[in-house]
Amino acid sequence: MSEGLETTRGFEAALRRIGEERYHHRHPFNLRMHAGELTRQEIRTWVRNRYYYQTRIPIKDGMILAKSASADFRRDWIERIHDHDGQKPGEGGLELWLQLAVAVGLDRAEVESLAHVLPGVRRACDAYVEFVESHDLLESVAASLTELFAGDIMVVRIAAFEKHYPWVAAEGLRYFRSRTHQAPRDADWGLRFVLENADTIPDRQRCVAALERKCEILWGLLDAVERVCTRPEVVTHASVRSDEQTGKTTVVLPERVLNLGGSSGEILARCDGRKSAEEIAEALQAAHPEGRSVADDVHEFLDEMERLGAIRRLPAVE
Amino acid sequence: MKAPRPYNLIAELTYRCPLRCPYCSNPLDWKAVGDGLDAEAWARVFREAAALGVLHVGLTGGEPGARRDLAEIVRAASTADLYTLLVTAGTPIGAEGLAPLVDAGLRSVQLSIQDAVAEESDRIAGTACFEGKIEFARAVRALGLPLVLNVVLHRHNLGRVAEIIRLARELDAERLELANTQYHGWARLNRAALLPTAQQLEDAAQVVREARRAGPRPEIQFVLPDYFADRPKPCMGGWGQRALVVTPDGSVLPCHEAGRLPGLEFWNAMDRPLAACWAEAPGMNAFRGEDWMPHPCRTCPERARDFGGCRCQAYFLTGDAARTDPACALAPQHDLVVAARSEAEAELVYRGRAP
Repeated sequence: MSEGLETTRGFEAALRRIGEERYHHRHPFNLRMHAGELTRQEIRTWVRNRYYYQTRIPIKDGMILAKSASADFRRDWIERIHDHDGQKPGEGGLELWLQLAVAVGLDRAEVESLAHVLPGVRRACDAYVEFVESHDLLESVAASLTELFAGDIMVVRIAAFEKHYPWVAAEGLRYFRSRTHQAPRDADWGLRFVLENADTIPDRQRCVAALERKCEILWGLLDAVERVCTRPEVVTHASVRSDEQTGKTTVVLPERVLNLGGSSGEILARCDGRKSAEEIAEALQAAHPEGRSVADDVHEFLDEMERLGAIRRLPAVE
Repeated sequence: MKAPRPYNLIAELTYRCPLRCPYCSNPLDWKAVGDGLDAEAWARVFREAAALGVLHVGLTGGEPGARRDLAEIVRAASTADLYTLLVTAGTPIGAEGLAPLVDAGLRSVQLSIQDAVAEESDRIAGTACFEGKIEFARAVRALGLPLVLNVVLHRHNLGRVAEIIRLARELDAERLELANTQYHGWARLNRAALLPTAQQLEDAAQVVREARRAGPRPEIQFVLPDYFADRPKPCMGGWGQRALVVTPDGSVLPCHEAGRLPGLEFWNAMDRPLAACWAEAPGMNAFRGEDWMPHPCRTCPERARDFGGCRCQAYFLTGDAARTDPACALAPQHDLVVAARSEAEAELVYRGRAP
């Protein structure tokens, strides 16, 4: 892995290669977004969940700020917080994202409440904040270098929205437009910092690992969004029954018998290939209004059933 | 002792088989065991099994397709509300023989292939059957049934695991069982000729890891063979715990090998109710639970997971079925397994010839 890291040029090439290979511009969900293949529901789910990521950015930037003893560094880095939060209410990137949410048909207050953020998205974004919390200034800045690749993806995204999703009003796209110039500016600055401050091979290796980890986090966020939009269906060759002896839901498959408890029967009964995983979780919640949030359990259960071959996931449809 | 509920019935319909695989788990004296149960007797076994709580039946052998009344037997299992899995070599049923079985209620098929390359597959099977198997697999999918592919792994095909996985994908298999040889039956006779090297296993495990990353289907089952793992397998989910085997002559066993253990009395489903054969036969209760366990199993925290390993392996390696399975690194006689790893190559002995 240390190949090429002896020189600054090789180090920079290694960082850029990570973006080329692992940045989420290659994620199937983004590819489909840019090809115009996402449903309105998928766009909305993405916008709602990605807002949680947006809210974590100023928090991690505040942590980075606190790691530096340099006034020059802080004076520059604080611009990022201003970009996101604005100088006063009603301004900044978070505000622009909420305007995007309204433009795709979401309720602003609902998005802002973060009440329906998916557990997988929450995990991914929290992992980023925790990473910055537990790593030093150099690694934290290196992790932010996904911005190197963000400018390009915004250009593609704006064109894709204008062409394929005309139902999203143009003023909803202002967030994307703002990032086309902010991201490269921030990234150039961050890159220069990393190149100047990582002057040993072990330091450079740490930077490479930090950027890889960040790419994984962004990838994981889209995985979670993509999966929840699919429509789970009990495979046709599974036999789902209520066991005569125990009353529990039992699934018989070619090579295994699954004894399931709790609400599994209610969930599987809704896996008909028409409802999305998100809709199934909502239906379960509605059926158990007194209980705590069941969304996490439903999505984990569906993942487990998929792994065991009891359900498959059909792509989202309009 | 109150017997647990069985979920799975393994119905060995016959020991006859057109294939001659040198690792067959059937007994060496398989020819002496006739097909003692007619379709009506099997129907009774299925009804009694369902009443015990069994949900799933594996119709196996030998080759179940060697029985002319197979469709009748499938219908009986289906009528008893058991989920049916046909475990077959694909021949002599053939692609055209499959539809009548589906009409009779067949739900799923596990097809064995011996290798991904026709010549090698046929060499191990001892007969030319590979092309027919591929046709059979396509017929399974064409009829809408899920396909499980089972490939027994050994020194001679471990190097082609990538090709086997590719074939499973091409055939649209739901699941691929890469089953490292268990050294029972004919495989024990051929152990020295079948044992792989540790390097072969490591390479295959790497191929499997990469294939799993590529997507969830087919589900790939690959477990290190006993001889190369540090802990024994939870054989059959525990002796007399979840599954029962009924042999072609009606013996009711906790596994297909247990009948070869001396001194154990098992009962026959032709003579007594299946419930009694399962719950009360002295052999069934010999290793149920934990009371029989020797040291170090008796106090081992792993005992709830592996149930002390395989009784048959303990017997065939140490001469005493009540010893700790030597596959376990904690077993006093683990050195027997370590020594076997380095056994020299030997000639294959084909099933059918006198050993």
